[in-house]
Amino acid sequence: MSDVMEKIKTEDRTVEIKIRDLGMTFKDNNGNDMKALTGVNLDIYKGEFISLLGPSGCGKTTLLRMIADLLEPTDGSIHIDGRIPKEVRLMQKFGIVFQSAVLFDWRTVRKNIELPLETMKFNKAEREQRSSEMLEMVGLTKFADHYPVQLSGGMQQRVNIARALAIRPEILLMDEPFSALDEFTKEKLHKDLLQIWRKTNKTIIFVTHNISEAVFLSDRVCVLSPHPGRLSAVVDIDLPRPRTLEMRETQHFNELVLKVRNSFEGGSL
Amino acid sequence: MSRKLKRKKSLWYRIHQNEKVQSAETVLLPLLFGFLFMIMWQTQKLHTLLHTDTFTLPLPSRILTIIADNSDKIMLNVNATVIVTLAGLVAGSLIGYGIAVLAALFPKWGSCGLKIIAAFNAIPIVALAPVMTNWTKDVSNHADIRSMVAKIMVVTIVCIANMSINAYRGLTELKPFSEDLMCSYAASKRVTLIKLRLPNSVPYIFTALKVAVPSSVISALVSEYFAEYIVGVGRQIRENIVLAQYSSAWAYIVVACLIGIIMYAVLMIAQSFMLKKRA
Amino acid sequence: MSIRKKITSKPWLPMLIWIIGIILVWEIAATIVSVTKRTPENVLPHLYQIFGQIFSTKAVSSGKTATMLVLDSASKTLFRAAIGFITGTVLGFVLALIMKISKLAEKTIFPYLMLIQMVPILGMAPIILSITGDINTSRIVIAAILTFYPVATNTLAGFNAVEREKYDLMYSYAASKYTIYKKVLIPYSIPYFFTGLKISAPMAITASILVDTLQGDGGLGSMLSQSLKHAMSIYVFWLIVFFSAFIGIFSSYFMGFLEKAVLPHKRKTKIKRKDDAV
Repeated sequence: MSDVMEKIKTEDRTVEIKIRDLGMTFKDNNGNDMKALTGVNLDIYKGEFISLLGPSGCGKTTLLRMIADLLEPTDGSIHIDGRIPKEVRLMQKFGIVFQSAVLFDWRTVRKNIELPLETMKFNKAEREQRSSEMLEMVGLTKFADHYPVQLSGGMQQRVNIARALAIRPEILLMDEPFSALDEFTKEKLHKDLLQIWRKTNKTIIFVTHNISEAVFLSDRVCVLSPHPGRLSAVVDIDLPRPRTLEMRETQHFNELVLKVRNSFEGGSL
Repeated sequence: MSRKLKRKKSLWYRIHQNEKVQSAETVLLPLLFGFLFMIMWQTQKLHTLLHTDTFTLPLPSRILTIIADNSDKIMLNVNATVIVTLAGLVAGSLIGYGIAVLAALFPKWGSCGLKIIAAFNAIPIVALAPVMTNWTKDVSNHADIRSMVAKIMVVTIVCIANMSINAYRGLTELKPFSEDLMCSYAASKRVTLIKLRLPNSVPYIFTALKVAVPSSVISALVSEYFAEYIVGVGRQIRENIVLAQYSSAWAYIVVACLIGIIMYAVLMIAQSFMLKKRA
Repeated sequence: MSIRKKITSKPWLPMLIWIIGIILVWEIAATIVSVTKRTPENVLPHLYQIFGQIFSTKAVSSGKTATMLVLDSASKTLFRAAIGFITGTVLGFVLALIMKISKLAEKTIFPYLMLIQMVPILGMAPIILSITGDINTSRIVIAAILTFYPVATNTLAGFNAVEREKYDLMYSYAASKYTIYKKVLIPYSIPYFFTGLKISAPMAITASILVDTLQGDGGLGSMLSQSLKHAMSIYVFWLIVFFSAFIGIFSSYFMGFLEKAVLPHKRKTKIKRKDDAV
């Protein structure tokens, strides 16, 4: 059953995000232009899990922030279903997960999840129903009334994801969400994230500097190279879904990792 | 329409992001504010606002004239106050730092002792000053000397608490694992103190001093109220008020502010030299 | 675990020993003083002599016992200190808010906020008294000024300490400026605000006591100077010294208590949990 759904997903490739000739130039301290990102052309499909992979300074976070309308590009354009990012943001269709959990210390876990719902003027009953649903999804129902200081790093990151999903966004933007976690927690959250993705059918854009993480999670991996930041390759990951941890041991997985590794320009990693 | 909105924003953005405009604003705005305030004061608008007269709140020009005319007498009192402030500041800071080092070497008892010292920090100076005057009765036969000792003691006590608490944090809040690193070198407690803890505490010393400088000036002024011997800027403020010489009182207030500002400026310069490399 | 270890591992034990130690040192000093000085009660009386005053039924001044006298004057002083403290708190918070909302206001006011630290407000007490003309008003004004700047600077520091990600997050929700202040900035600044209160509460009390000494109509400070001039038993002086020290310390602790009452997450201790998946 699920395999059939996967097939439908890959065949029904409607482009959701269209990125054309995108570039970002910052001014450095001496007033010189510094190209953070240049000439990016990319189509992101609806319901796709896509990773932006690269070393620091390659502009992957810049790219994500431009899609989220947290940064205004200096060149080129981004269109999401024909709209510019600002409109999409104002329609509240983005869910963002940062590397640090950015939880609000003075709010309980439940209240943290309800925060975006409050700003979007949901009524109390709706908020509670949604937050209960989200707590259930990330497996933190028992911790609803705890405060962030009482949670482990992994649990905090779950709350972060739950909060991003609470508004039922169309696009989930994740900026190195697991890079501060230990390997065991990370693996568990990988599995959970894939499950949530299958259940909710969101488009996920996932920024990471970890090659095997990108290969394991994604449908496609966008490889970005630094100086200046640019998109040097897009690698299709044809591992079957649902993905299991055992797949990481297979020959095919290793081949894909190697393929991604070799597609970095300049070679030095 | 969205295009128009965008352009408008970027013009506003451009003006405010311009570094020259930014730094000009930082300097000019407060100057303008101060200038307006002085004009309001000199033209007596301020007096109307506070429902007072030029007798109680003399004009700036009058205050400056008085400072210029009485510079000898004022300097005498400034000397007395500055000696008390500096002596108390130095003594209190040194003792406070010493306490912090002891507390850092014996943390179990030290951290608790510091909690008690922190509590002492909340004791009103007003309660402290007369006690010190009583304690120093037999120090000397000269009223000026024993008053000075009493005042220095008040300032010292005020500075001790502040310095010991901050310095203790500087001596114990180390970079993660740096203590383990010293341990792996089999460094003795003494070496760890000298190589790791003492350098780590330097920025915290300045944090303490930034609080201590203004509060030591104020403690010196207030302790002068309770001292036996009539000398010092603080005491002159009070004496002049009692004699209804408000202009002279204001002159001393201005001088008192200047003492604080100059000491603070010296501290900031010292800090920028000492912490230059740490950025 | 041995019994000795059990007792020494109690967290309150060092505190208890410190307090006992301080009392011992005081008493030893008082004993020495009582032998060597002509007027030992002026220098360092025994603690029981001071605290004996609390329970003494002997009238010390105009038919009042020492306790009645201290509590009476304390209520006068502390009530004004409290009004000034609250006024200063509100002003300080509002000013911090204005400085956060408007960068121009911050640039204009902030240097003066630093400068006001250098102005010896306590030294200006007599002038403020003559401007306001009323001792109660000047108590309030001075307590308010002293409260105002620690609250303003600390609250502003709190506003400015909000991480960029929190803004980004609210921005992605398309939250209004008002919502950002209400849900992020103001709650975030509350612990910083309380840091300011903890500093300024004893200062407001000090200010109020100091203003008392300027005029002879009641209040802790005025009793302090009267008893110092031997208008009444010197033990009343010591009782007031101890009482004002206690009130000063208590006021600061009380702010800490209030903070915990207002902010439930401050009551929770950080649990070091292994990063296991749930």
